[in-house]
Amino acid sequence: MMWIALIPLLPALAFAAMLPMSRRIRTAARWLPLAAMSGSLALSVAAFLQVWPGGGEEPVWGVSTVLATLGGAPVAVSMRLDPVTAVMLLVVTIVGVCVQVYSLGYMHREERQGWYFAVLALFSAAMLLLVLAGDFLLLYMSWEVMGLCSYLLIGFWHEQDAPRRASIKAFLTTRVGDVGFAIGLAAMWSYAHSFDFAVVLHGTTWAVGAATLVSLGLLAGAMGKSAQVPLHVWLPDAMAGPTPASALIHAATMVAAGVYLVARALPLFHAAAPWVLVFVMFVGASTAVLGGILAMVQYDIKKVLAYSTISQLGYMFIALGAGGEVAALFHLTTHAFFKSLLFLGAGVIIHATHTQDIREMGGLRKVMPWTTGTFLFGALALSGVFPFSGFWSKDDILMTLWTQGTWYSLATLVVALLVAAMTAFYMTRVCVRVFGGPVCSLARESHLEMVAPMAVLAGITAVIGFSSPAFAAFLGEVKGWPDLTMAVVGSLAATAGIGLGVWVYAFAGVDTQALRLRFPRVAVVLDRGFYFDLTYNRGLVEAFVWLADRLSAFDARVVDGMVNAAGRGWSAVSSSSWTFDARVVDGAVNGLAALVRRAGERVRTLQAGRVQSYQRLGYAGLLAGLGLAVLAPYIGVLAAAGCALAGLVVIGAVIVRGA
Amino acid sequence: MGMSNLLSVVVFLPLLGAVISALVPKGSPGAAKWVAALTSGLGLALTVWLAAAFDRTASGMQFVTDVVWVQQAGIHYHLGLDGISIAMLGLSSLLGLIAVIASWKITDRAPTYFAMLLLLQVGMNGVFVALDFVLFYVFWELVLVPMFFLIGMWGGARREYASIKFFIYTLAGSVFMLVGMIALYLQTGTFDMVELARLGAGGTLGLGFQNWVFLAFFLGFAVKVPVFPLHTWLPDAHVEAPTAASVLLAGILLKMGTYGFIRVSLPMLPDAARVWAPWIAVLAVISIVYGAAVAFAQTDLKKLVAYSSVSHMGFVMLGIFSLTAAGLNGAIAVMFSHGVVTGMLFLIVGMVYERTHTRQIADISGLSSAMPVMGGLLAFASFASLGLPGLSGFVGEFLSLIGSWQSTVIPHWMTVIAAVGVLLAAAYTLWMVLRVVLGTPSDVVRGLPDASPRELTALAPLIALTLVVGLSWSSLLSFVDPAVKALVAALGGAA
Repeated sequence: MMWIALIPLLPALAFAAMLPMSRRIRTAARWLPLAAMSGSLALSVAAFLQVWPGGGEEPVWGVSTVLATLGGAPVAVSMRLDPVTAVMLLVVTIVGVCVQVYSLGYMHREERQGWYFAVLALFSAAMLLLVLAGDFLLLYMSWEVMGLCSYLLIGFWHEQDAPRRASIKAFLTTRVGDVGFAIGLAAMWSYAHSFDFAVVLHGTTWAVGAATLVSLGLLAGAMGKSAQVPLHVWLPDAMAGPTPASALIHAATMVAAGVYLVARALPLFHAAAPWVLVFVMFVGASTAVLGGILAMVQYDIKKVLAYSTISQLGYMFIALGAGGEVAALFHLTTHAFFKSLLFLGAGVIIHATHTQDIREMGGLRKVMPWTTGTFLFGALALSGVFPFSGFWSKDDILMTLWTQGTWYSLATLVVALLVAAMTAFYMTRVCVRVFGGPVCSLARESHLEMVAPMAVLAGITAVIGFSSPAFAAFLGEVKGWPDLTMAVVGSLAATAGIGLGVWVYAFAGVDTQALRLRFPRVAVVLDRGFYFDLTYNRGLVEAFVWLADRLSAFDARVVDGMVNAAGRGWSAVSSSSWTFDARVVDGAVNGLAALVRRAGERVRTLQAGRVQSYQRLGYAGLLAGLGLAVLAPYIGVLAAAGCALAGLVVIGAVIVRGA
Repeated sequence: MGMSNLLSVVVFLPLLGAVISALVPKGSPGAAKWVAALTSGLGLALTVWLAAAFDRTASGMQFVTDVVWVQQAGIHYHLGLDGISIAMLGLSSLLGLIAVIASWKITDRAPTYFAMLLLLQVGMNGVFVALDFVLFYVFWELVLVPMFFLIGMWGGARREYASIKFFIYTLAGSVFMLVGMIALYLQTGTFDMVELARLGAGGTLGLGFQNWVFLAFFLGFAVKVPVFPLHTWLPDAHVEAPTAASVLLAGILLKMGTYGFIRVSLPMLPDAARVWAPWIAVLAVISIVYGAAVAFAQTDLKKLVAYSSVSHMGFVMLGIFSLTAAGLNGAIAVMFSHGVVTGMLFLIVGMVYERTHTRQIADISGLSSAMPVMGGLLAFASFASLGLPGLSGFVGEFLSLIGSWQSTVIPHWMTVIAAVGVLLAAAYTLWMVLRVVLGTPSDVVRGLPDASPRELTALAPLIALTLVVGLSWSSLLSFVDPAVKALVAALGGAA
């Protein structure tokens, strides 16, 4: 079954093939990643069938290779195929192919589109390798490569300032989390002497302290990648990249990798101190609320979706905190489809209206029926309306919280319901603004290659929710159809949000501008995103820049200054106490300097035609080296020490002169 | 026996080249570089041959030559290789050849220049294979002379100051090394480094004695590495040095210091090493963070790379003084990778400088638009430098962190600070990429030619090695680990 390794390898090869191409040939080869991804999709389906009917954690296939030995102990990386991987492979390849097809239309005017497609291929390879990884090291390595691709795609339009800055911000913010991840891995190796999932998660008896430490490290990495508070700040800025890249990377796949990581490592989290999982839930809840609140007040359609993604990822963390691995992964799956659908729709809308501001849009339902229809599917799913997929996966999470039954899980349940209402509200807001009202631009429906992927994703979004029990069974959890009470409660939250949204925006029930004016402080806080960026800029970035400048000056003045001072001091000592004639010291220095200068002069004479003198110089250099090599042992170590001490004398003088 | 002679050939072949190069007749000014390229190329080929014949399962010295040199003083001509040496010898041979290719356009006193470059190679090769302390010392000091002339005669505006500072600072350091050497000789009566390591592991040297000798060696090696606060000669030397000299300075000369710790301090003075390890680790962590922060503030590309070297070499020191197998493997991986990657960075900065006549970050922007290949390669080298997995830089830093965490002598909080250094590396590197590689092209780079075939030839092996080592760790570490395992066992530590 080594063909499974082809799944990440195909797009990797597409990237490798496109990398050395010239810009024009690369543009001509832009379909290559799509071909590779289609191959990966076909193989992923085959892999899924291999795993079917699933029902456990046991891998049906695995391969491992030793990267290195450390004092004889092997460090291995491995790939494995188990139910979770099979599902993730399908999610990544389906969304990946849709985004590739869509991009052919979306990017076709871009001069550097070949590069875009190549990086998209590398990203797909890394993401597929990540879900196939059978150990934390390979997972971490592909994780970082994804970070690189994210950086490259966010900064695709690097001639502009905003994408350039957003790209570095994304890389560094996620790397803050990755410092924790790396430490977690180092600790993991120290305690378990392995990175392998099976060994680390099931074959090691963990002390609570060690497990706590390692799981917190992994959690830090996950919080960075999955944009959890307080490391969420990079994701809204990442929207500066091309929209289809946002759909794939910053909505469906990469940002969900943190959820995947924690889901994988959940046995370790269970072995850790109990408060770790509560902390995960707390992080998820605060992220869900913060993302939800900020999504309600954005005017940029991509920013609404970005904050919504943050919020939904928080939802998944809530599920993880409650130990609901399957619920989290199911929401990850449904979210991947409907959120990428929404982003693709947003891309079409932005292309058609030439703006990202929802206040400048309107009436698109009349001119863009396909886009409107598919976008509404996505919006309904995100809002959790039956029978769309988001309803099912959200219900799973709510149910998980309810079954756990602790006071904090119940409190979180209330928060989650509130967030569900907020979600429905802000999606209603977007839909009313964009599709309702009079037509306000010359927008036209998009091309087939852009609409078709959206239709496919919309179709999946409509039906995939019904797979809920089957999904759980495939991953080895017995679960029936949703509990009716919880379904009603969840739907009520969604209905409330939609109702409020319709009342406020369709019927102008509330003048939002007046609200802003009435509560200016609140408006400022919301506009500033609760001051996270400002705090980081002032407290970390600017402080670091200031410190770096100070240290640089310190290095030049103090550290190097001490060297110079030592030289000066030595010179003083040698001239006074040893009655060392300053002229001798000077002479030594001048002699050295003159040697160099004379060498220069000789070359000048050489250029005038006197070759002998310059050849002599060559011999001199050689003889100096040879002499040192041959004579040193005979003269003996004392003589060499003498030479070196003489050197010390010279250092003083030279540095005095140099300073 | 044949292979042992081959080792001597590899070491001294450049000397032959240097002589021929210096004797090049006046009528053919371009001949010197060909002589240099051929001898370095042949040397590299022979080194590869040695590596192919090297037994990767054995931990001891291979291809050993041991003949009496100076009977009265007990000095031997004693050469040999273990896995650590061969990794460094390979790097030295490769960068030696690349330095020649990078100097192809040198016309100013070319025969002397290439003779110096080859003479430098003799010293660099010799340091990594010498097993007699006097021989080691001779090669160690031999390196200084050609480097002094390379910086002093072919360097930038402040070359005199920089070359003399480099020469005397490192010479001053090696005085202490010499003292340590003599002390060891007086105590044990031998200059044989293998024998000294055996005595060290046997515990025949008292701790008090070891401590003093250890400090003497520390000063000698630490200046070379360089470890904070002994590093200020490095930025000056780099900024003034011609490109090839910068490549060798960062690629090989710095590694001589860390190699010294691995070859001398750890095996010969293991008890002192354990005593001093936490304190040296403190300096290592300071070097990592301080080097990174100061690199961030630089306005000159070469200075930025120079300070980044201080930071990266901090990881080497951290790995070494973790006294663990993971840490030592990591340290050697960083040494190798830093040689390759920083070599690449200095080459590219040199190529940009040749075209734009500036190294000021503020003057250069939009390289990727003006010169897509050059800009792309600078970005590639930058990502390798900041430790992206899949490229060589990650291997060593990651293993150093593991070793440091495992270590019984380094507290965990120091590992955490070192890990923050990885973040800072990303900060100063990407901040440089943002200003230099990205954006719209500035006036000085607009319309300039992209990388030439010769320039790509110089970079290609480095790019390949960055990928090979990054993807297949064992391509490097399978040589290294047996020697590391033996060393750790002699230190009495766990794996």
